[in-house]
Amino acid sequence: MASDFGEAEAPEPRFVPLADIDPGDERFRISTRRESGDLLASIRRFGLRVPPLLTPARSGFIIVSGFRRVSACRQLGWDSTAARVLPTASEYACALMAVAENSLERPLNLIETSRALNLLEQTVPEGQTTDPDASALGLPTHPNVTGRLKRVCRLPSDIQDGILEDTISFAMACELDRLDDDLGVTFACLFRRLKPSLNKQREIVSLVLEIAVRENIHPRQVLEECGLTPSMGRSEPDRNQEIHVLRRRLRQRRFPALVAAEHNFLALRQRLRLSGGFQLTPPRDFEGTGFTLSLNFQTVEEVVRLRGKLDELINHPDFKILLTGKGRGFETPSDS
Amino acid sequence: MNIAELFVDVQLAGRPEAEAASRRFNVPIRTVASAQLVYASVASLEDPIGRGKHVLYLTRNRGAFIKSCPGTRHYTCCGYKILHIGTFCSMDCSYCILQSYFHPPVLQYFMNQDEMDQELGQLFATQLIHRVGTGEFTDSLIWEPWTGLSARLIRTFSGQNGCVLELKTKTAWIDPLLDLPHRRRTILAWSLNTDEVIRTEERGTTSLDERLKAAARGAAHGYPLAFHFDPIVITNGCEGDYRRTVERLFAAVAPRHIVWISLGALRFMPELKAVIQRRFKRSRIVYGEFIGGLDGKMRYFKPLRMKAYREIANAIREYAPEVCIYLCMEDDEVWEHALGFHPAQRGGLARMLDDAAIRQCHLTAQAAEGLR
Repeated sequence: MASDFGEAEAPEPRFVPLADIDPGDERFRISTRRESGDLLASIRRFGLRVPPLLTPARSGFIIVSGFRRVSACRQLGWDSTAARVLPTASEYACALMAVAENSLERPLNLIETSRALNLLEQTVPEGQTTDPDASALGLPTHPNVTGRLKRVCRLPSDIQDGILEDTISFAMACELDRLDDDLGVTFACLFRRLKPSLNKQREIVSLVLEIAVRENIHPRQVLEECGLTPSMGRSEPDRNQEIHVLRRRLRQRRFPALVAAEHNFLALRQRLRLSGGFQLTPPRDFEGTGFTLSLNFQTVEEVVRLRGKLDELINHPDFKILLTGKGRGFETPSDS
Repeated sequence: MNIAELFVDVQLAGRPEAEAASRRFNVPIRTVASAQLVYASVASLEDPIGRGKHVLYLTRNRGAFIKSCPGTRHYTCCGYKILHIGTFCSMDCSYCILQSYFHPPVLQYFMNQDEMDQELGQLFATQLIHRVGTGEFTDSLIWEPWTGLSARLIRTFSGQNGCVLELKTKTAWIDPLLDLPHRRRTILAWSLNTDEVIRTEERGTTSLDERLKAAARGAAHGYPLAFHFDPIVITNGCEGDYRRTVERLFAAVAPRHIVWISLGALRFMPELKAVIQRRFKRSRIVYGEFIGGLDGKMRYFKPLRMKAYREIANAIREYAPEVCIYLCMEDDEVWEHALGFHPAQRGGLARMLDDAAIRQCHLTAQAAEGLR
C-alpha cells in the first residue's frame, strides 16, 4: 500500500470551481449516506474543515472522497471549493485513498465494506493481490467472507436498505441472495416491516420454501395464500402478534398432521377441566409416550385438595383416552 | 465401482490384492502412511462425498471387525451383529446416512482379514445364535466383483451351525454366489422400495425388477431370502405404491423362501438434510413431516409412520401370513399399532429373529438353547 499511496502523496488544497467537478461519477463512492443536511449546517457555521479529495478526469475532476461535502457546497451556492487534487494517480491509488478516507475514520457498514472490496478488486493492477492493502485498511480478507461480502452491494435495494436499517443481517442477506430476486425482495420488505429476529426470519423463509417444494408450487403462491405479503395488515399495530400469526399459519401448513394432533390434544385437555394446580404436558411432538403432570401448591391443604382433583382426573374417561393414543392426536377427540 | 484414485496403507504395500485392484481399476497405487492424507485428497473438493465414491483406500481395520448394531434405548433394536468389512458405497442414494457418517467418506476396504477370521471363529465358538451382516456401513456386494469376499464368507459360515450371515444389497450381483455350498447359513437380502423412490432417490442402484429377479435366482439355488422396506418414504398415497411393490415381491418370490421382512421409515441425522439439499437438488424426501426423534434423528411424525407400517404389513400378510415381519428401530406403541403386538410378547425382537433364522436357516437347536 505504501507505494500506491506514495504515488499519491497528500496534496495541498487549492480552489476548484464546483462546475468542474462531475457530480455523476460515483465510481469511488464508499459511503452509503447521501443526505448532507447536517454537513450543510456545519460547513455554513464552521467552514469546510477537510477539503474533498479529487482526481483529474478527461475534463474537470471526479470525486475520490467527499461526495457529501461537494454536494453541501453546491447547496450552499458556492462557485468553488477548496479541494485536494491527486496528481495523475492510478485508479487503484485513488481507490485506496477513497477506502482509507472512510475506513480509517469510522467503522464501515456492510454495504460500504462490500463497495470497498469491489472497488479494490476492480482497480487493482493485474497480477497484484489486494489482500495486504485490504488488511491495512481494516477490511476482511478471508476468501469465504469476502466472496459473500462482495455480493452485498449488488443485492436489490430493498435488501440493502434492510441491512442498513439493521433489520436484515449479513447471514439473512446471504440467504435472500440465493433466492430469485423478486422473492428475496418480498421477504426483505416483509422483514423490514415486521422486524422479526434472525431466527424467526430464517424460520419463515425455510417454512415458505419447504411448503412450496412439498406442494409443488412457487414460494410466491405460498406467501400469497398465507397472507404473507409485504403489505399485509398494515393497520395491525402489534408486530409481534402479526409475526406470531404468520408463523402459526406457516407451521400449520408445513406440519399439518402434527398441528392437528396438537389441536386435538388441547381440545381433549380442555375437556378434562384441569384445575389451576395441574399442568398436563404431552411428550414432545408426541414421539415419546411419557406425559408430564405438574402439581403446583404452597400448603398442605392445597395438596389435599389436589389429591382429590387427581382422583377425579384418574377416573375421567377422557384421561384414559388421552393416555392410550387417541388423545395424543392420533385420532380426533370426537372419534373417541 | 469406478475408481479414479487408489490409496494403499503403507503397511499393506506389495500385497497381491492391492496389485490386483490397481490392475482391475487401471489406476496406480499411491502408498500413504495415514488415512488423513486420503481424506485430504477429497476434503477440499466441491463435492467430497461424490468424489469419495471414486477413491478406494485399502487399509487395515484398526478396530473390531464384529460390532453390535448401535441401537438406542428409546427404540427396539434387533440385536444384529455388524461384520465391518469396509465403508461407504459406490452407489449414491440421497438418504444414505454414510454421507454424513464418515468425514469425509471414501471407499475403504479392510485387508487384514486374518483378524476378521479370528473374530468370526470366536463368535462361532460361543455356540449362540448370532445374526451377522456386512451391509451396515457399506453395501454387502459392491466389493464382490474384485474381492470375492462374500463368497469366502458364505463358505466360512456354511461350516458352522449357530450363526447366519445376511448379505444386504441394492445390486443384482449374486450370480457368482449361486452355486456355492451355502448350507442355508447365508441370507441374501435386498432393500426394496417403490419404483418412484428407486428412480428418484437411489442413483446407480438396480431397478426393483432386477432386484426381485436376482432374489428369485437366489431362492432357486436354495438361499434363504430377506427383504427390507427401508427407508419407507411417506408421501400422499405412498401406501398404494408400497402395496404394489409388495405384490411384485410375491409375484417373484414365494413366501417360504423368506426369513424376515423389515419395515423402517426414513430417518436421518439432522445434519444430513443439508447434504441431501446440496447433493440432490431435485429430491423431496427431506420435506416430509419430520420431527426430532428421541434418538436425535429426524423421523416422520409418529401417526404417519404407524399408518404406513400398518398398510404395508397388512399387504405383506395377505401374501405371507407366516413370514416374520419386524420394525426397525421403533417403540412398542408403534409395534402395537402397526403389527398388533410388541416384541416382548414374543420373547423380544432378537428372539423373534433368531427363531426365524432357526426355522429358515436350519440353525441347530443346541446353539439356540445357548441363547435362552
